[in-house]
Amino acid sequence: MALSTGTRANGGAATVAQRLQKELMDIMTHPTPGITAFPDDENMTRWTATIDGPANTPYASLVFKLSMEFGATYPYAPPTVLFKTPIYHPNVDMSGRICLDILKDKWSAVFNIGTVLLSLQSLLGEPNNASPLNGQAAELWDKDPAEYQRLVLARHKTPEELDAGGL
Amino acid sequence: MAFDEELAQLQKLSGEYEPEATGPLVGERQSSAAITTEYANADPIYRIKTAALPAKYAYFRTCRGDGHCGWRAIAFTYFEALVRVGNATKFTEEEARLSSMHNLLDSAGFPHDVYIDWAEEAFDLLRELAQSLRNEDGRAADLLLHKFNDLGTSLSIMTYFKLLASAWVQSNSENFKHFVPMGDVKTYCSLNIEAANCEIDNVAIVALSEAIITPAGIGFEIMYLDRSPGEEVNVTPFSQPTDHTGMPLPNPPVIRLLYRPGHYDILYKAGDFSPTVQHQPVQPQTPLHVALAAGYHDSFIPVDSNVDVMTMIPGMYSTGLGQRWPPVSYDFDPSPTPQAQMTPVQPYAPTPTPITSVPSTHQEYMSPVHASHMAHHNIQLEQPPVTLPIHPPRPPPLSIERSPLTIERGGPFRPSIYELEPGFASGQVHSLPFQTAIFRNSHYNTAHFLNPDFQPEEWSPDTEYSTANKGKYKST
Repeated sequence: MALSTGTRANGGAATVAQRLQKELMDIMTHPTPGITAFPDDENMTRWTATIDGPANTPYASLVFKLSMEFGATYPYAPPTVLFKTPIYHPNVDMSGRICLDILKDKWSAVFNIGTVLLSLQSLLGEPNNASPLNGQAAELWDKDPAEYQRLVLARHKTPEELDAGGL
Repeated sequence: MAFDEELAQLQKLSGEYEPEATGPLVGERQSSAAITTEYANADPIYRIKTAALPAKYAYFRTCRGDGHCGWRAIAFTYFEALVRVGNATKFTEEEARLSSMHNLLDSAGFPHDVYIDWAEEAFDLLRELAQSLRNEDGRAADLLLHKFNDLGTSLSIMTYFKLLASAWVQSNSENFKHFVPMGDVKTYCSLNIEAANCEIDNVAIVALSEAIITPAGIGFEIMYLDRSPGEEVNVTPFSQPTDHTGMPLPNPPVIRLLYRPGHYDILYKAGDFSPTVQHQPVQPQTPLHVALAAGYHDSFIPVDSNVDVMTMIPGMYSTGLGQRWPPVSYDFDPSPTPQAQMTPVQPYAPTPTPITSVPSTHQEYMSPVHASHMAHHNIQLEQPPVTLPIHPPRPPPLSIERSPLTIERGGPFRPSIYELEPGFASGQVHSLPFQTAIFRNSHYNTAHFLNPDFQPEEWSPDTEYSTANKGKYKST
C-alpha cells in the first residue's frame, strides 16, 4: 500500500515527506501558542510534540510530551500518537495510548499535526467520559475534582524529569 | 461469564474484520456477462436480474472493494465521461469551473495549502488527458486507467472530490439538513464525507452529482442490484443535465454505477463507446472484392466444430439459437466505427445480443481469442437494413454474438467459403475493405442476387471430396 514515491515535476501528489515538510514549514512560520512539534530525524516519519495543559483545567501549567509516527499512507491514514509524559486522564491509558475518534476511524486527510495537537489539547479539558480507557479518572472527574487534581499532579513528570529518566 | 467474554471477544474480532481488498483499484472494462456468470448459482432474483443486465449494460469495470470504491468509481467515471466527449477544450473549462468552487472549500474551513495539492493532482490529470486528445494519440483512456491505479493519485483526486462534496453540502445546508442526523450538517460532513475511510453515502452522492457531474453536462445513474422484487436492476437517476434554458441535453455522456449492497462498480452501455470519429483518420475505401478474391481455393477449411448448419435453418430448433432470426435490434450499437480503435486495452468483449445470454457461451465473451470477432460484428451492425424482393424475410445478420463463429451470415444457406474463409476470423483485413456504401460486408449482401450476372456458388460433388488431395486436383 505504499504511495507512489518520487517527486512530480509540477508539484502534485505530495508524498508523505513532502507533505510533512510543508507542515513543518507551516508550524515554524505560524507557531500556535501552547503547541510545538518537530521531526526527530531527516526522514520526518517520527516527530516529537508538546502541548501545554489548558488553563482552568487540572492540567493547567503542565507540559506534555508526545510522540507522533507517520505511516506511508499519511495523510490518508492517521499518525500514531502517544503521550510520552505519564498522564492521568480518562481517555489515555497507562502506556500513553489515546482514545480519540479523529485518530481512528474519523481521521480525515485534511487534518494535520496542528489540528491533532489542538484536538488533544482540548481533550485534556473536555474528556470523553462515556468511553474511558481509565475508568477511575472518568469517575473522579465529576465526583471528586480535588482528588482528580491530586492524581494528575502525582502522575505528572516534567520534561526534565522525563529526560533524566532516560526517555 | 467466561462464555460472555469469549463471545464479546469474537464479536469484537468480527466487527474489526475487514476482508483483504484485492484486484486493481480500477479494473479493465469487460463484458458484463461476467456478472451474470458470477451470479449463476445465486438465488433466483439475482440470477434473473443479472441475466437481464448484459442486454442493457454491455460492459462493466470493477473497483477495488477497499471502502473507497464509490468515491473512486465516481471520480474515475467523471474523467472518463469527459474523455468520451472527446473535446479538449472541455477539460480546460472543467478545470476553471472546479477552481471556481475553491471559495466553497475556503468557506468550509479547509486550509488552502492543504487542499491545493489534491486539486492540482486532479487538474494535472485534466491537462494530461486534454493533451492526449489534442495529440490524437488515442492514449487518453489508458492514461486515465493507469493514473487511477496509482494509489497516491487516486487518493488525491478522491480526497479532492470528498472536500468538494463536503463543501457543497455545507454551503447548501438548507437542502441537506433534513437528511442528516439532528440537522448537524457540519459534523455529519466531517464524519461521513471528509473522513479518510468512509464509504460514500447518498448525501455525498447527491452532493457530487450537483457540484461536479451535472454542471459538467454529464448524466448519472445508479443501478441497484439487490434482492428486491423485480426482473431488472433498479435504476435511480441522479443527474440529468440541462442546457441554459432548462431543456435536457441531447445525448449527454452518462455515468452508470452498479451498486451491490456495500459495493460500487462501473457499468456501461454498448453505445457509450461509440468511438469519437474525429480522432480516427478515415480509412481510404478500397474496392473490397479485390481483397476477397485472392487465395480462396486452397485455404477453405470447413471451420469450427461449433458451426452447426442446422441451427441456421429457422424453426429447426424450437428454442435458443433459432430465436436469433426475427428480433433485429439496431439500437444497442449506433456506433459507426468498430470498437477496435477505442484503446489497445484488450480484450473488449463483444456487444451482447438483446436476447438473454446462454451461460455456456460466456467464456467466449471474455476470451481474448475472440476479440477480433467483435470488431467484425460491429461492422455488420452498421449494415443498413436491406430488404430485398428476393429474400424479404431475411435481413442481414445482426444478433449473432453468442457463438462467434457460428453464423455470420444472412440467410439460411450452407456455409460458403466466402464467409468462413479462415483469414476472416483474424480480423486484420476486413475492417478496411467493407466500408463501401452499398456493398459493405458484400459477401453477406443479398443485393448481389439482383445482379443479372450473379453466379451463386454451386455445390459439386467432385470438388466437395477433393480437398484432401487438392494438389492433385489442381494439377489435373
